[in-house]
Amino acid sequence: MVSLRAGGVYTKAQLQKELETLATCGMFEKVDLEAKTNPDGTIGLTVSFTESTWEEADHFRCINVGLMQQSKAVDVEDNMTEKEKVDYMRSQERDYRRRMDRARPCMLPRSVHSEIVQILGQGNVSARMLQNIRDRVQKWYHDEGYACAQVVNFGNLNTNEVVCEVVEGDITRVVIQFQDKLGNVCEGNTQIGVVRRELPKQLQKGNVFNIEAGKQALRNINSLSLFSNIEVNPRPDEKNEGGIIVEIKLKELEQKSAEVSTEWSIVPGRGGRPTLASIQPGGTVSFEHRNIKGLNRSLLGSVTTSNFLNPQDDLAFKLEYVHPYLDGVSNSRNRTLRTSVFNSRKLSPVFTGGPGVDEVPPIWVDRAGVKTNITENFTRQSKFTYGIVMEEIITRDESSHISSNGQRVLPSGGISADGPPTTLSGTGIDRMVFAQANITRDNTKFVNGAIVGERNVFQLDQGLGIGSKFPIFNRHQLTMTRFIQLKEVEEGAGKPPPPVLVLHGHYGGCVGDLPSYDAFTLGGPYSVRGYNMGEIGAARNILELAAEIRIPVRSTHVYAFVEHGNDLGSSKDVKGNPTEVYRRMGQGSSYGVGAKLGLVRAEYAIDHNSGTGALFFRFGERF
Amino acid sequence: MAREWSGIQQFPLATQTKLLELLGTLKEKARDSLTILVMGKGGVGKSSTVNSILGERAVAISAFQSDVPRPVMVSRERSGFTLNIIDTPGIVEGGYVNDQALELIKRFLLNKTIDVLLYVERLDSYRVDNLDRQIVKAITESFGKEIWCKGAVVLTHAQLTPPDCLSYDEFFARRSEAVLKVVDSGARFKKHETGDHPIPVVLAENSSRCNKNDNGEKVLPNGTVWIPNIIETITKVATNESKSILVDQKLIDGPDANERGKSFIPLILGFQYFFVIKQLQKWIKADIAKEPKSSWE
Repeated sequence: MVSLRAGGVYTKAQLQKELETLATCGMFEKVDLEAKTNPDGTIGLTVSFTESTWEEADHFRCINVGLMQQSKAVDVEDNMTEKEKVDYMRSQERDYRRRMDRARPCMLPRSVHSEIVQILGQGNVSARMLQNIRDRVQKWYHDEGYACAQVVNFGNLNTNEVVCEVVEGDITRVVIQFQDKLGNVCEGNTQIGVVRRELPKQLQKGNVFNIEAGKQALRNINSLSLFSNIEVNPRPDEKNEGGIIVEIKLKELEQKSAEVSTEWSIVPGRGGRPTLASIQPGGTVSFEHRNIKGLNRSLLGSVTTSNFLNPQDDLAFKLEYVHPYLDGVSNSRNRTLRTSVFNSRKLSPVFTGGPGVDEVPPIWVDRAGVKTNITENFTRQSKFTYGIVMEEIITRDESSHISSNGQRVLPSGGISADGPPTTLSGTGIDRMVFAQANITRDNTKFVNGAIVGERNVFQLDQGLGIGSKFPIFNRHQLTMTRFIQLKEVEEGAGKPPPPVLVLHGHYGGCVGDLPSYDAFTLGGPYSVRGYNMGEIGAARNILELAAEIRIPVRSTHVYAFVEHGNDLGSSKDVKGNPTEVYRRMGQGSSYGVGAKLGLVRAEYAIDHNSGTGALFFRFGERF
Repeated sequence: MAREWSGIQQFPLATQTKLLELLGTLKEKARDSLTILVMGKGGVGKSSTVNSILGERAVAISAFQSDVPRPVMVSRERSGFTLNIIDTPGIVEGGYVNDQALELIKRFLLNKTIDVLLYVERLDSYRVDNLDRQIVKAITESFGKEIWCKGAVVLTHAQLTPPDCLSYDEFFARRSEAVLKVVDSGARFKKHETGDHPIPVVLAENSSRCNKNDNGEKVLPNGTVWIPNIIETITKVATNESKSILVDQKLIDGPDANERGKSFIPLILGFQYFFVIKQLQKWIKADIAKEPKSSWE
């Protein structure tokens, strides 16, 4: 409490100021500063004090005096008579009681209350004891996140009940401010409602400011991806004593942007070993016009290819318009409308051969069309999407001629064009309109970097009878994935992740018209690992099962897996039976091991149908 | 336009009489034509059997050449009755069922009606294997299970000396049983379907070395005069209560998997909406409610 130090040089004014501070801090009843001159010319200073004490108390009450006028401790004036003094004291007590009645109860829980009553029971109430109590009360508030709470005063001191006055930090205003790159306040493009809806309820006017609510607000606003810098700061309100103004400072990102992102995929070449020719650079070139009209609407155009060196292999264009807050910015329902025009070209895995059938003439499937859907986000991960797709599908052969049937190689070596039909209409061009819905329930979370939880996805495509040959179909897929944590671990930064067992099942079925390009295919990195895409077969109904066990090793993890894909006998129910025509098995299993090296998964998978294994490098997650 | 069945003249008198008698019974049942389809592996004696029945060298045969390259129909007419026999290429090539040959046969048969199917095998083969089952399966898948109700098995090379201590009849019985078992499993017949009307098995010996009886008719080691016997079996099958098979486009294409279950789609959609989508939505809402709320909320 004393700021004077031995060896320091002080002026008389400084010494007097020190005395005043000590006298007025309310801890002492009397303070005396005595100076004694030493033989060597220095001054020895003795500070003697009488600690303020009051009667013993056994009751404790805590009141919230935020937003109320501070009570001024007025000293008894010297030139008052006895009677005036007594009246004055009584009116003071009455005022104080009225003040206590007007005040709001504070948030302190029973447990802390009893702790403090125990402190009071130690003897006479002294200034040191009050300091103790103040520290305990403030500790509770700060631990709970109420960073702006303060004990401002103790009242009713000479009675049985000690009253502690707390200012909890009530929010009087929430101010949203936009800043430019240099930090100067500027006009923002984003509409205030967009930011306001991301604020948790605790951070509104009338509630007590909590730092965790502030952090949550930061996370929520960050997820909008509209701002490069976000600050949530509380500051005292000068106009309202004890009030807090929450200031949200935002720096907006550029509205227009263009981006190129690339990725490499290494595909096993001959003999299962990756060769130079099989390293394919792929990626996306995109431009985006964001935050149109300040309502987080955006227009996105992109071109994606899986092989920049040979883009006609797999090329996709997309122009998309995203319109969030479909029900209005102030409506808490989170629905987004997306409309896009797309055009893509992919190699059909339905028309590929089994092992040992090398040269199957490939078929390219060109899809172009418009799709529009509404997505309702229930949580950050779970959502429900429904919409309509209108598309034209053209199947072409290697020389880009429209091909209405797959080709097959005759035993004589010649090629005949009477393989399975590629389209529903039989002409090579199909046009159709169908409805699509997808519901995803995802409550996975990360435990020290390992993904744990479960994810279920149901997808439905319903033909509406509009299009070539009036297609009516119901194509449905159910995927269930469980990431089971095998060992309890302590959560925290730098702590090791738990071993995880992954169980995964995927069922796909179709009732009604099924063109070959929409048949479900078995085999591939997201179907049954160790086989090429479609190598196991193409069918009307499929079942894929997979299990993987992940063991953490140093800073990464290694895993072993087993997978199986089965056509449930429905290969023949695809017109022309392409599975049999191209000599595929219809079912297959694989097993293998792998390790995660940064972003790349290196795995060795053995194909059970042919008994051979190969090394693969892949990006991304299998499940 | 069918040619005159002149071959009937060169049969021995006893055989001729029998044949004309059988033609008579057919005419009584108001049948004035009969279409017989002959199918089987390559080299079993299909073309030879056709020639034997017609009594002339209607279809070219050679010991070392594999069957007719494509299906051929031979028609002969006699006193107002027309007999059509369709000889087909063997449907097995290189250990697999030959889809090409099957396609050719199906296309040839478009809009024809089959009254009798002769499934030809050799009597002197001792084993049946998966390939035989594949053949029966292929025939069943192409023309439907019902074709076997109009079917008869022909076992060629019937003039043989059975191995070891088996008598001829015993050997014949065992071999028939093995072949019929394959037909039953390949055509996926359930037990009760075959019990009432078992598929008849007949023997044939197409070589000129075949033994002859006193009347000069070709006779087998068990005493059967096989040409009238096979015609009689054919007649019985043709006039049994099962319907003849009309090979139309629909039959060739097979049951359309696209149409199957289409009428259930509204029900399926309803089920998916109420029991899958709504259920998942409920679970998601439960997840949100269960989510641990922070102490400050």
